[in-house]
Amino acid sequence: MIVSIFEGREGHIQEKGASPLPLACSNESLAGAVSQRACVYSGARVVLNPLTDALHLVHGPIGCAAYTWDIRGSYTSGPRLYKNSFSTDMKELDVIFGGEKKLEKTIRELYAEHHPPAIFVYSTCIVGVIGDDLQAVCKAATEELGIPVIPVRSEGFRGNKNEGYKAACNALFQLIGSRDYAAKSPYTLNLLGEYNVAGDLWKVKPYFEELGIEVIASLTGDGRVEDIRRAHLAGLNLVQCAGSMTYLARKLEEKYGIPYRRISFFGLGDMSSALRTTAEFFGSAEMSAKAEEIIERERSRVGPEIERIRQRVKSRKAAIYMGGAAKAVSLVRAFQELGIEVVIIGTQTGDRDDYQKISYIVREGTVIIDDANPLELAELLERQDADLLVAGVKERFMAYKLGIAFCDFNHDRTSEFEGFDGMVNFAREVDVSINSPVWKLPLLRKSPLEKGVEEFSGGDDVSEPCCG
Amino acid sequence: MSQSRAAVNPCSMCMPLGSVLVFRGIDGCMPLFHGSQGCSTYMRLYLAHHFRESVDIASSALSEKAAVYGGAANLKKGLKNVIKGYSPKAIGLSTTCLAETIGDDVVRTVREFLEEEPDCRSITIIPVSTPSYADSHEEGYSAALLATVKALAERSKPNRKLNLVVGTMISPAEVRYLKRLLGDWAAEFILLPDISRTFDAPISADPPRIPAGGTTLEEIRDTANSLASITVGAWANHRAAGEYLEKEFSVPHYPLPLPIGLKFTDMLMGRIEEITGLHMPEAYEQERGCLLDAIVDAHKLLADVRTAVYGDSEMVLGLLNFMMELGIRPLVAATGGLSKAFEKLAKEIAPEAVVLAGVDFSDIDGEIAAQEIELMVGPFTGRQIARARKIPLLRVGFPNHDRFGASRQSLLGYQGAAGLVDDLANTLLEERERSSERSP
Repeated sequence: MIVSIFEGREGHIQEKGASPLPLACSNESLAGAVSQRACVYSGARVVLNPLTDALHLVHGPIGCAAYTWDIRGSYTSGPRLYKNSFSTDMKELDVIFGGEKKLEKTIRELYAEHHPPAIFVYSTCIVGVIGDDLQAVCKAATEELGIPVIPVRSEGFRGNKNEGYKAACNALFQLIGSRDYAAKSPYTLNLLGEYNVAGDLWKVKPYFEELGIEVIASLTGDGRVEDIRRAHLAGLNLVQCAGSMTYLARKLEEKYGIPYRRISFFGLGDMSSALRTTAEFFGSAEMSAKAEEIIERERSRVGPEIERIRQRVKSRKAAIYMGGAAKAVSLVRAFQELGIEVVIIGTQTGDRDDYQKISYIVREGTVIIDDANPLELAELLERQDADLLVAGVKERFMAYKLGIAFCDFNHDRTSEFEGFDGMVNFAREVDVSINSPVWKLPLLRKSPLEKGVEEFSGGDDVSEPCCG
Repeated sequence: MSQSRAAVNPCSMCMPLGSVLVFRGIDGCMPLFHGSQGCSTYMRLYLAHHFRESVDIASSALSEKAAVYGGAANLKKGLKNVIKGYSPKAIGLSTTCLAETIGDDVVRTVREFLEEEPDCRSITIIPVSTPSYADSHEEGYSAALLATVKALAERSKPNRKLNLVVGTMISPAEVRYLKRLLGDWAAEFILLPDISRTFDAPISADPPRIPAGGTTLEEIRDTANSLASITVGAWANHRAAGEYLEKEFSVPHYPLPLPIGLKFTDMLMGRIEEITGLHMPEAYEQERGCLLDAIVDAHKLLADVRTAVYGDSEMVLGLLNFMMELGIRPLVAATGGLSKAFEKLAKEIAPEAVVLAGVDFSDIDGEIAAQEIELMVGPFTGRQIARARKIPLLRVGFPNHDRFGASRQSLLGYQGAAGLVDDLANTLLEERERSSERSP
């Protein structure tokens, strides 16, 4: 047993090479174990919220709206409506008598005030219990207002974040296909599962334009309702965050015959592959040559800086704990580019295929963990002697308390990590934290009054550094 | 009021969040939410952003099945795992919307759990009802405080101590200030809840699973035997815990405002002198003189500045009163929770101000525009308005996600007030310098 804190978690933690059975995953979180997972609502929210000009209305009590107000660090190049938090602010009487009337009125009033091109209505736990008919309310509102008013089935308790991703994809699917458009280029694609955190999209989109490809819609980073309505006209779907958007890609393939490719824009290798895969898909020799030219140009541009940092961080040990598996896998490759060894890797919502893939790419001895909690993570970080944790804010302060460097790879980061420049930013952040002087500060002060200390050294006698 | 019935950009949070602030102020206490996993994860995130600390909140992780058949089994399992994982002395058990709406009887489940698990009987489990739809985080805090005192306070021998009840959420630095004050006074006291270390924990060689610090269970039991209780941050509401001790155990209760500014701090000092029979220590007389000096130094700069104050109700009342002392013109005073008492008191303190309770930031924004506000004082959640209207914002109180130092901010006492004068003045000066940056 690698870590034994909670009964029933044994199967969810494995060491590569030592455990023959497949990792247990895709089930409900253990009660009382402080899972890092969120809920269905949260999954739906993170996927849809970056749609900048849509009105996002939470049908539920104030808390669900308060905690998701402008929380995702998705940038916009224009509309700012998505940075507001709208909710029906359900009270006790709404719970008793139902919230449909209030919802109807709220939709009408918000439309009159903001004239959004679409409204998404998210359901929360209590809506699911009291049985408000969101479908009917939204249908009536769509007819009355003449814009899509789309219900998002995101009652928190209906599963984990994955269910929320699906609910969001179903909502987007309703929107797609409702506009016509004549593309300017014979080569067109959509970017799926690209959320423009810290402006990622703007580090990537120009490369596709350089290849002569028109990006029809970005789902959903810096997204616009109009673009998404005509997304069915694209020739290809590139799926970055596979966990959240493969489901939509499959639906689009089924209904509109749009093929999809899973790619990642993070890391020099993955970014290069993304460009190659795309050019290869369109089957144009000219485009393939252009892709090689871009790759060559960009890699030689950022290469020296990456190499400089690699010398400073190589052979250090990293732990990865991500929401979805796609990012985790991409991180393993990026760490290889920096000469960093991955000693722990885990996700909140990976499935059996994801963990198989992860198991394939990590070294023997790496611990793989599903749906971790703070106690397990803390114990594993020590056991595996990690120098760095890559995760989200919830995990940041735990790492710091343990004297471990940290890199935020979630909503809260403020520098782009995608594209060739993004890899430089990432490498710099890793370097800044791992090689910071703060980890060498003495944890305990030596007192001149202590036995054995003959002469006062002014405290510069570093005996027990903060981080081992 | 808002044109629409929607809440646009909320100025309050939900009840379970407030309860965590109380439970984390109890020694060895672990918070557990009876609800879906998202509630605990969202609030952990929200609190971690503010305090820059890891905040573990367990969840009974209710699923669809539990929503239909009841969540008792999950709750029992959750309690058991929290006990196994964290070895707590107490568990603060807060309900959520989901648990309340499906009608789970938490008290009964806890009773059954303790019957089934004799080994767990030494652990104090404090259930509290905190559905988001019922009220705001401020009321969640009050409810948890009352539940805590009710669960533990117990008559034994008189202890000659003063209960200092923190009736509303304040910062770790502010709790430290109050403790130092009473320590300097040589008064024996029990402060509840004490988040001074649990939400501002030092780096240590072997960090404990539940952060060290907090009011001990023994102390909370002993609150029933004290000389008197003072509740700070109980000017409008939040008096229930102190009133309970008065009613059940005849411990006299004195509800006071948060000691923000001169007069409100004088009120606290006077009350402590009365109860203990001891004079305020000389060092605090000095501090008081220095505060007056700081106020006089800044009075012309601050005179008549058209100001909006918003945030938790008790903090707003304290700030309003201090602004009147400074000669600032508070013209908008707003809080997210519905409270008639707040409205009445705010109006008394600042008759010129537009007073708003139970509002969101769209309401506040409307008044800020109408009153031609020059300075905003409140949590970071007002930042969008400040940016859009180019009004300087002094960040105070909870939440503060986009600046460092929320745990170290202290508005309380003569010392805190002096710091606040500096911050108010400097915020205005920086804005003036920025807006006058033209070539001569």
